[in-house]
Amino acid sequence: MKLGLGFLIFGSLLSLVLGIIVTIVIPAQDPVGPSPLARPYTALELQGRAIYQREGCGYCHTQQVRAPEANVGTIHQPGDIGPVSVPGDYYYQSPVFWGTERQGPDLAHVASRHGTGDNPDWLIAHFKDPRAVSPGSIMPSFDYLSDAELQALTAYILTLK
Amino acid sequence: MLSDRPGSASLRFFYAALFWLIVPGLIGLFLATFLYTPAFYDHLPLVIKPYLSFGRMRPVHVNLAIFGWLSQAYAGAILYILPRLTRTHLYSERLAHVNWWLWQLMNVGTLVTLLLGMTQGREYAELIWPLDLLFVTNILLLALNVWVTVLRRKEPKIYVSLWNFMAATLVVIPVYVVGNKMWDPSGAYTGMTDSIVNYFYVHNLFNSWFTTAGVGLALYLLPKLTGKPLYSHRLALWGLWSVWTGEHHELYSPAPDWLQYLTIVFSILAVVPTTAFLVNFFMTMRGSWNKLRDDVPLRFLAVGAIFWGLTCVQGVAQSFRSFSLVVHLTNWVVGHSHLAFVADYTFWAFALIYLMQPQLLRLPGMYSKKLMEWHFWLVFVGIVLFMGSLWIAGVIQGLSWMNTQIPFIDTVIAMNPFFLGRLIGGVMIAIGVLFFVINVWLTARQAVRQPAPALSPVAIAPGEGSRA
Repeated sequence: MKLGLGFLIFGSLLSLVLGIIVTIVIPAQDPVGPSPLARPYTALELQGRAIYQREGCGYCHTQQVRAPEANVGTIHQPGDIGPVSVPGDYYYQSPVFWGTERQGPDLAHVASRHGTGDNPDWLIAHFKDPRAVSPGSIMPSFDYLSDAELQALTAYILTLK
Repeated sequence: MLSDRPGSASLRFFYAALFWLIVPGLIGLFLATFLYTPAFYDHLPLVIKPYLSFGRMRPVHVNLAIFGWLSQAYAGAILYILPRLTRTHLYSERLAHVNWWLWQLMNVGTLVTLLLGMTQGREYAELIWPLDLLFVTNILLLALNVWVTVLRRKEPKIYVSLWNFMAATLVVIPVYVVGNKMWDPSGAYTGMTDSIVNYFYVHNLFNSWFTTAGVGLALYLLPKLTGKPLYSHRLALWGLWSVWTGEHHELYSPAPDWLQYLTIVFSILAVVPTTAFLVNFFMTMRGSWNKLRDDVPLRFLAVGAIFWGLTCVQGVAQSFRSFSLVVHLTNWVVGHSHLAFVADYTFWAFALIYLMQPQLLRLPGMYSKKLMEWHFWLVFVGIVLFMGSLWIAGVIQGLSWMNTQIPFIDTVIAMNPFFLGRLIGGVMIAIGVLFFVINVWLTARQAVRQPAPALSPVAIAPGEGSRA
């Protein structure tokens, strides 16, 4: 049984280490530079990003366009969510907000949507009272955020081109 | 505070687990209500709105359900089982009580920090660094009791459950440390690596802790509740070897293609341990199915095991790109996670508490059999309605997104009736759990009225025909 215990310890740790190497270490070696869409954030945008994180926006909004659902790259058609996401898009991000659920729309390229996502006034009105500008929306109202916080959040959203 | 009485820590873990089942349960109801009719939130006073915001409540719901409720139910059951399968004292009952206090500290910390918006922003890895340290400390203390008790055992044979507990407490620690980047208090991986690590962590947290320990617990219950030995101990041991299939959450994502294909292979390999468990389950159950009619704990175990099989089937299906394309990111995923956490592991935890609480209190059984029946049927019908709604909703959502002529908001509005179905299911589960809690409370009160005889820490191994 001594052998059994040793086998258990050795076996499970070995399989774990192999798992870490194969699924984390090797992919991390892939040299990925920033994509044309990625750029370093300003202080205000980072502040907005922290608010996005604090308020848990990422639980309902993904920021990843999967290959088969990406359209030709225009965002003007209904249902078209923009070009497919590539690793370099996330170059400057920590944490990344890929997300696991879309209770709301994908936001990877939200700032390219004319009249709404690229319009600071629309964005702020929408944060304060989502259902007033987007009937049927199930987003919480963020009217408890200060004006400065809403400005910062908007600055961040506008980086999602 | 730090009692030395055998079984006292186990009982405390169960009671605390119940409290930490109620809190995330009520939050879950709140979230389900919000998704069905979000307008009520608009009219709440501004001072409380931040703390009731969906994005802050959701991680509280998840973290307390898995680390507060389920992990503590596991800890209580593991501490109960250890002396019984090793025929010796628990290594340290006092240590287990220290463990319990630290666990409560972690849960309170989780509740407060997440409501304040103090989060690392990664799903299932939200907890800030001090709470990460508390989690690892808690598992280490539990591991110490598991490992030392097994090493000092008087029973030569190590029953498979003990192997599972040892493996679970051993592997979950490095998984948690790597997943949360604990050598760096900010926990900050960047770029694509961040996402890859997060999915590695999420899936292996489930594999190493909730599944490995959970299967160990089910393999203890199975002979105990049927009164028959396990069909094949050797087969059960094979079921241990299941790790690292996490990246199948990334199909069609920006993660490298080769990694996505590799993860599909791993996910299919996960069929091996699943089959090992299910074969053991069905073969041991042979001839005992008629017991399901009257035996609520056995029914929870059996229904949980069948749902567990379904979880694994869904898991493999979801790891195929074609299927993932439709259901990934939809409400299907929410249904799948509740299948694993409510319909399997929580069902098993109910069975464990129904078996173990009366044993620990030296009572012949739970206070009310009727309440147990109500508990089972409400929770069972509730969860089926809950998951069924979300699975249908998810498929509709996924197919609608593929049709570029449908505006996104229409796919949101279409969810409404399914969110109602989920809410009704949730209310049924909540009422069922209420009956459960009342029953446990009445059972505890009964024990106070009839003081128990002195406890013997040494009991009978499973499969020897007794339920003692």
